[in-house]
Amino acid sequence: MTIKYFQKGFNYSQDGPGNRLVYHLHGCNMKCPWCSNPEGMKADAAYPAFPITQVTVEDMLSEIISCKPMFFDGGGVTLTGGEVTLQADAVRELLKRLKDEGINTAIETNAMSPALPTLFPFLDHLIMDVKSADEDKLLSVAGGVLYPILKNLKAAVDAKLDILVHVPLINGFNADEDATDKLLQALLPFKDDIRIEFLAYHEYGKDKWKQCGLVYAMENANISTECYKKTVSKFKAAGFTAVRT
Amino acid sequence: MAINHQKTTEMAKELFREERSLMRLDGWFLSKEIGMKYEHETEGMSKMRRTAYLLKKIAAELPISISDNAVFAGTQRDAFARSYALINPAFRVETFSGYCDPTAVFGDIEPNEDITQERLDTVKAHDKETDYIKELTKVYDAAENYTKEVAFFVEQVTGHVIPDMRHALKVGVNEMKREIEANMQKTDDAERIDAYKAMLDSLDAVIIFAARYREIALEKAVGDKAEQFNRLADALARVPAEGARNLFEAIQSFILMWQVMCLEQAPNPFAFSVGNADRIFEPYRAMDNLSREDAAALFKHLLVFYNVADRSWAISQNLIVGGKDTEGNDLTNLCSYALLDAYYDMNLPQPILSVKLHKNTPDKLYEELGRFFFTPGCLTPSLFNDDSVFEVLRNAGVAECDLADYSIAGCQEPLIMGKDNANTTNSWLNLGKILELTLSDGVSTITGDRILPATGDDAITILKNLRERFYANCQFIIKEMTKSANGASRALSNLPVPFLSTLMGGIQSGYDMRDPVHQGTPYNGSGCLIHGLSIVADSFIAVDTLLEERPEDAERLIKALANDFAGDDELHEYLLGCKKYGNNIAVVDDEAAEVASKVADMVAAEKNYLGNPFRPDFSSPSTHLTYGYWVGALPDGRKAREMMNYGVDPLFGDAHQGLGFRVLSSFKLPYIKMNGGFASHFGIDPNYFTGATYEEKGIEFKNKVMRQFFFNPLNDKLAPFYLYVNVTTPEMLRKVLANPKKYAPSGVYIMRIHGTFVNFLDLSPAIQQDIIKRLDLKSTTLEC
Ligand code: SF4
Repeated sequence: MTIKYFQKGFNYSQDGPGNRLVYHLHGCNMKCPWCSNPEGMKADAAYPAFPITQVTVEDMLSEIISCKPMFFDGGGVTLTGGEVTLQADAVRELLKRLKDEGINTAIETNAMSPALPTLFPFLDHLIMDVKSADEDKLLSVAGGVLYPILKNLKAAVDAKLDILVHVPLINGFNADEDATDKLLQALLPFKDDIRIEFLAYHEYGKDKWKQCGLVYAMENANISTECYKKTVSKFKAAGFTAVRT
Repeated sequence: MAINHQKTTEMAKELFREERSLMRLDGWFLSKEIGMKYEHETEGMSKMRRTAYLLKKIAAELPISISDNAVFAGTQRDAFARSYALINPAFRVETFSGYCDPTAVFGDIEPNEDITQERLDTVKAHDKETDYIKELTKVYDAAENYTKEVAFFVEQVTGHVIPDMRHALKVGVNEMKREIEANMQKTDDAERIDAYKAMLDSLDAVIIFAARYREIALEKAVGDKAEQFNRLADALARVPAEGARNLFEAIQSFILMWQVMCLEQAPNPFAFSVGNADRIFEPYRAMDNLSREDAAALFKHLLVFYNVADRSWAISQNLIVGGKDTEGNDLTNLCSYALLDAYYDMNLPQPILSVKLHKNTPDKLYEELGRFFFTPGCLTPSLFNDDSVFEVLRNAGVAECDLADYSIAGCQEPLIMGKDNANTTNSWLNLGKILELTLSDGVSTITGDRILPATGDDAITILKNLRERFYANCQFIIKEMTKSANGASRALSNLPVPFLSTLMGGIQSGYDMRDPVHQGTPYNGSGCLIHGLSIVADSFIAVDTLLEERPEDAERLIKALANDFAGDDELHEYLLGCKKYGNNIAVVDDEAAEVASKVADMVAAEKNYLGNPFRPDFSSPSTHLTYGYWVGALPDGRKAREMMNYGVDPLFGDAHQGLGFRVLSSFKLPYIKMNGGFASHFGIDPNYFTGATYEEKGIEFKNKVMRQFFFNPLNDKLAPFYLYVNVTTPEMLRKVLANPKKYAPSGVYIMRIHGTFVNFLDLSPAIQQDIIKRLDLKSTTLEC
């Protein structure tokens, strides 16, 4: 079994606790126009500037084991994307082996795949996006479907996972009052079981879109600090634990 | 004492501008001329007495002045020449020559109507006839076969120690003299009595300077300058003769002591270092409870003192803050932060700033460091890991009570302040050249000259026995090198340093610090800077790979190396594709660890002129570039004349997995054996740090970089203890070069090269390009 990834590296306390080795797995089942990793979006596309690495689960595992001294402060491995669940079988195998090795595991996912819960037994941390609770917008703008996302969230809560919900805040997509109200309502049943983090829109991926020969279509998407603060306050007032990692 | 910190700061900035407008440095020459003038009066004196006697004459006659913008009196201008190659725009890597002419410095002065060629020639001719130059020339001549293409290099080490000024500041020179007299009474050893007399005389030199400066101050103390210069005159009436009573007097005392110390070794005693300035000065700041702002304002003038003329020619003088004691208590104090404020506001090319860290360093220090790392063009401190350095020094025999007093002389060499004459840059070993000669059976592939004896063996025999032969050649070269290095140290002992000796344990020992027979300082050693670690390890692995996968190409490899891969791109590509150090690949990382360990052991087994071990120091202060120019193609795929790897770092471009992987490789090296020091550099892209303020970014820097490299709790080996960083991108630096007016309006854009920092705009083009290349951002990527 092999895994394809397009980027890896260490980070501290950003994609899970402590110092973590983060792999970006290739391919995604959504198509967010703000994606900061467009090179990893299309499973069937490859761009010369961004080589894809394909390794066996076994080799990836040895690489991770050789990095053990780097997993300090509760760190470990985070698999992100692209979308992790597109390679669910290999990922499950890897996560299982990592747990056998006593290595802390996290994934970051758009949470749309029905395969997601099969990974739960091998996860210490789940970071999942809920980009919008507006079904139409989610589908038309990002190609996402709300129902399975919320279903997976429920399953994760039932499985008593440590859950961090990521919400990118994007002007014109999900940052207005109505949209955030809707999101709040959708997540309200889970408020005691999750932490939530709002991520203000940024243009980090813009250059990469160009390098891939793709058109970056985002315009006027920045949100004000005020809007950010207001949204966070609203969720806090409703009893959510809002964090910033 | 009332300090107008704003006014004092403005004056410091003006003083720096004045200094940078100085295009000539003639003082060292004038001091030599004065010495020559009075030499006839020293007939019959020992060399040490003569030095002290002439030092007094120099103190009495050297032209001096005080700027209107100076709050303190004193300069080190008269000790330095316009020599240091790397900040000379005319410097080219190709012009570096291993062979050394000790009188070349006379070429650094442009003759004019006053200082004529004739005057220069007279002093130069006189110098050439001194025992020092004659002996040194003999040493260089004897080593020429090895030094001409830099299999090794040796030098006599001036500067490069850390005087302990604390006692002088506290009790004053008069009391030091009484101590010397008392010790003199206790001995009937004529040699020591003579040395003590020399020390007494030499201390008078600083008193003479103080009196002369005081006279000038009194003359200048009129009108709106009265307060400024009366204060100065008052201080000079007190210090350095007596102990300092406040920060102002302490800094004044320190400056004059420093001036004489440098002058005694003119020209070019590079890399004298201050030590923990925060610990030195805090007691005096506390005496009149000076605020952080006021203390910073005075420190700004101290910092300007370290900048000499148009390019800040007195390079590598190091000032340290922070650190811990042996109990693990943090020793940061208010002066630590005041000094940081002074550094940040002034942003001068010298002196180098170092910060000692340990696992309990308060977050406040990291927060305050954030502004240095994340302001473009701002100086950045080099960083030391006390937790590891203490272990390394302990292991090397340093007494427990001295550990907290380690400081950095020059770039990265840890020595005990006031106690350690380490001759840090005494010898320079080029592993790259030795490997080239091993592969070519002793003939330089650069010049075709035979340097080592031939064995006559065929390619496959050479390759199969490569390690064994390489280490045998290392052994041979190291023996030759240390012989020459000791010769250079003995030659230097013809120039005793009685004044400095009083700050280095001489008052207790009764010997000159450079005495070649008796040890004048509590600790003594000689340094060996070892070059080319990772390229040698990579080459061994490449040869192993080739012998395993395509042994039929053994001869082809040797030929390709001799031809610098001309016409054999296929083999070149193959070799470049072999495993490289710096990517957390066990086989090659372990090889690097073994090369480091074996070579360090060989070096440390050699004894210096006093019978003390040589100290392995894996650093290459831009010599990876200049020495690399003399190294032929190697099996790792590095082409002839290209730079070697820097310090213990991977060769640029070879580590491409990112920071964590590179750090994991680095953990495997035997730092415990690197008691002379080592060098490592990270070029880091500032975009990985997203904190909203400098303080937040400082903490991010701690978490993302320093925690993993220095204080990783899961690293079960001794952690690395030195790092310097440049937080920038090649694009940014290219912009600065293309449009300095826009990106560096002050004309100063500080970067670090090896342990020192320099004004990027002052550098020679070759070094500018080296810096851009070696940012090597692929080796330090982080996730974001
Ligand atoms: S779900 Fe994530 S990886 Fe996939 S397109 Fe959207 S932002 Fe990119």
